[in-house]
Amino acid sequence: MKRRSKAFWLVVPLYVVTIVLVFLPLLYIVALSFLKKDVLWGVTNEWTLGNYRQMLDPVYLKTFGDSLKLAFATTVITTLLGYPFGYFMAKLPPRWRSTCMLLVVVPFWTNALVRIYGWMIILRAKGVLNAALMAMGIISQPLKILYTYSAVLIGMVYSLLPFMILPVYNSVEKLDWSLVEASRDLGANAVEAFFTVTLKLTLPGVLSGFVLVFVPSIGLFFIADLLGGGKIMLVGNLIKNQLLQARDWPFGAALSVMMMLLTLLIILLYRKVTGAKDLEGFF
Amino acid sequence: MKRKGKFSLSSLYLIIILLLMYLPVVMVIIYSFNASKSDAVWGGFTFEWYGKMLHNRSLMDALRNSLILAVCSCAVSAVIGTIGAVGIAQGDFKAKGIIENGSMLPIMVPEIILGMVFLAFFSLLKLPFGMITLVIAHTTFCIPYIFIVVKGRLAGLDRSIGEAARDLGATEMRMFFDITLPLIAPAVASGTLLAFAMSLDDVVISFFVTGAQTNTLPIKIYSQIKLGVSPEINALCTVMLLVTFLVICLSGWIGSGRKKRNPMKEETDL
Amino acid sequence: MKKVLSLLLAALSVSLAFTGCQKGENASSQSTPASQANSQEPAKGTSEAKELNIFTWDGYFPQDVQDAFTAETGIKLNFSNFETNEEMLTKLQASNAGDYDIVVVSDYMVAIMNELGGLLKEIDKSKVPNYENLDPAYLGKFYDPENLYTVPYGPGAPLIVYDPATCPVEIKGYADLWNPALQDSLVLMDSSRVIIGITLKTMGRSFNETDTAVLSEAKEKLMGLKPNVRTLSVNNLQDVILSGEASAGFMFTSQVAMALDANPELQVVYPEEGLGFGIDCLTVAANAPHPENAFAFLNFLLEPQTAASVSSQIYYLCPNTAAQEFLPEAYKQNGAFATPSAMLAEAEFVEDVGTELAAEYEKIWTEFKQQ
Repeated sequence: MKRRSKAFWLVVPLYVVTIVLVFLPLLYIVALSFLKKDVLWGVTNEWTLGNYRQMLDPVYLKTFGDSLKLAFATTVITTLLGYPFGYFMAKLPPRWRSTCMLLVVVPFWTNALVRIYGWMIILRAKGVLNAALMAMGIISQPLKILYTYSAVLIGMVYSLLPFMILPVYNSVEKLDWSLVEASRDLGANAVEAFFTVTLKLTLPGVLSGFVLVFVPSIGLFFIADLLGGGKIMLVGNLIKNQLLQARDWPFGAALSVMMMLLTLLIILLYRKVTGAKDLEGFF
Repeated sequence: MKRKGKFSLSSLYLIIILLLMYLPVVMVIIYSFNASKSDAVWGGFTFEWYGKMLHNRSLMDALRNSLILAVCSCAVSAVIGTIGAVGIAQGDFKAKGIIENGSMLPIMVPEIILGMVFLAFFSLLKLPFGMITLVIAHTTFCIPYIFIVVKGRLAGLDRSIGEAARDLGATEMRMFFDITLPLIAPAVASGTLLAFAMSLDDVVISFFVTGAQTNTLPIKIYSQIKLGVSPEINALCTVMLLVTFLVICLSGWIGSGRKKRNPMKEETDL
Repeated sequence: MKKVLSLLLAALSVSLAFTGCQKGENASSQSTPASQANSQEPAKGTSEAKELNIFTWDGYFPQDVQDAFTAETGIKLNFSNFETNEEMLTKLQASNAGDYDIVVVSDYMVAIMNELGGLLKEIDKSKVPNYENLDPAYLGKFYDPENLYTVPYGPGAPLIVYDPATCPVEIKGYADLWNPALQDSLVLMDSSRVIIGITLKTMGRSFNETDTAVLSEAKEKLMGLKPNVRTLSVNNLQDVILSGEASAGFMFTSQVAMALDANPELQVVYPEEGLGFGIDCLTVAANAPHPENAFAFLNFLLEPQTAASVSSQIYYLCPNTAAQEFLPEAYKQNGAFATPSAMLAEAEFVEDVGTELAAEYEKIWTEFKQQ
């Protein structure tokens, strides 16, 4: 009993922040999403369900679909690239691990916009990549990569990779290798041991990574704008345009609420399917 | 022998991915020496932008504000996020699930609407807009990064260690600092590093909660739409990278001296 | 549940107490609306703090102009930036039109702000004698018919620019952008109102069309432009042309000017269907903490030499008659600033159409982008 009350004080700040700065604003957003917009600016006092009804328009449904598709593609590629990275990183000699961790994050301390411009310099028709490929004789005509879906994927994966690498690294690094050894002793080969033991035990890390990659990738739109040539409309764009261009705050709020619900749903689904939840919360 | 071969293959993978991650940054560095104002053409080599950058007072102010903001909000959120994750893992509270999932919401809410709500909320509370509101808002969205990573690390950690320590009569405080914290230190570090990157880069939420005298670097950069992003920004990013690497090398150098004396610590040192 | 509620209450009272002491601390500085009275009361010129808070896009006030003003008056300039007019207004409303002194506002937004009322301060012309240097062609516009609140600062008309080396057709107007020969080779500004606007122009309609039937016709027409679009963008459009990624583009004056600067071979086109037009204005916030400094700054910016220096550096048309003789030769030679004045006089402002129609425009734009 005593132990519990002490642990309680540890979570008080988190509770306060979550309630005051997350739940209260959230209530505000939900309330806003049921209001009507004013003719010139702002909202009126009338309540309506119209903002949610408006969302059923195929134009907007398609936007949600496109966003989810991009987010899934990003998450899958990021996981495929990031898991081995985190895994190998955890197996580095200890003195290299923290250096490697810093090396992963430091490029992200430069401005995101500037980094994406860096990619534009690389990917454009007369850019670095095409020049290199042509010099090596791999291609004879410059590839059109910039302003395509591939460019968007490159940018998204690049921007979110550290958010997969570090959580994976953290769960591999603390892994109890004796369990893996044991499974090997019981006759499993390296691949079997990896899938039955290692992967399963590191699933909480992958879950953290999944959340940190999937969630932002739904809302991240400036990468799609810059590298995709503004030809993909994502929920993030839509919300921004509704709030600023159309000055329709309630509809923007309703879109946001829907986006949050979708995100939560997918995370819960992911937990259920992978069973990652069962591995959490022990100490 | 076989082990060594495997090791080098995985190192190769690490190096390739790292190189790819640095590729765009290298472009930024190269183009910071571009005499042409446009990224589209190479106009020769120059140091001009470095000089201009240093004389640009509003740029330097914005940089200072951004750094102060990132350090403050990361420090606060590292504490709240870490002890929060530990507390959640240890205890069984009312509304635990709601808080656990709820604390992740700030990264699920689209930035722009969160920014607008913070704006309304803070003006309702009559908080003056400035560094304080910035730190509050940034702390809110930094916590999830640290909380989630630390929580992932705590999951499945051997609870018997904690129980053994308690059986030996360790106090809660001692237990936290001597056992829990060293075990989760890499997670706290990596979560904080990610949060730092997020804070340093945030533009939308910052815009809505900042004051008339606390412009931040990203706000400044994103508002350069009329005349295009100035190459001074490339120069600034280059300098920031250089300084960061200097600090890393320096701390590595100091750390290696210390580690020799205390080999037990090296696992968790940053 | 009880615990949660009591927590909530505790948190609220803590944050309220926090607010209280913040306000106490801040009474001596000028950042809360409540304290503005303090800084205004002693008033009349010299007693204001030697500061000026400017709310603007970045890059609108050249460094040498800033330095000259600070050297002359000792007033320190503080900048804060915004990306869109709408964000600016949200922020200005939350600060009760205080906190900021000089605010840069685009034409249509001045109109909205005046309709909302209480956001802008009347400019005291006796403190801004250089106001008379302004070219009357840029005064008395729809957003401020009596020139009470605004100083025109950055006027411009978006233009077409193309690279004759790579562009297969000669472009004369908006309609040429639909030419199938231009497949996948256009860079356009990512702005619903402007691009739908030029579509309407090719149909002989107005940028500010309010008939929804005409709008849906325009939508059909706009969809035909999609195959030609290489990229839609908000910044650095000139780079897309300069790097050869696109062969023709439709962009802001400043971007056209920069493109022409970097590559004089490019052709600038004054579209025959008629121009769209916009003016970014300088205004003073209604409850500006340093109004005297603000007027002094406005007057300084309207000095002929300063105005010439500003226009030639921020790459907009120069709305200052007295400044014309000081404009550098390179500026006068640049095609982006040589728009025939007859066309400028005919140019049409992109005005606000109200939130109902704005939503309509936005929806068309969403469909156009996602196709």
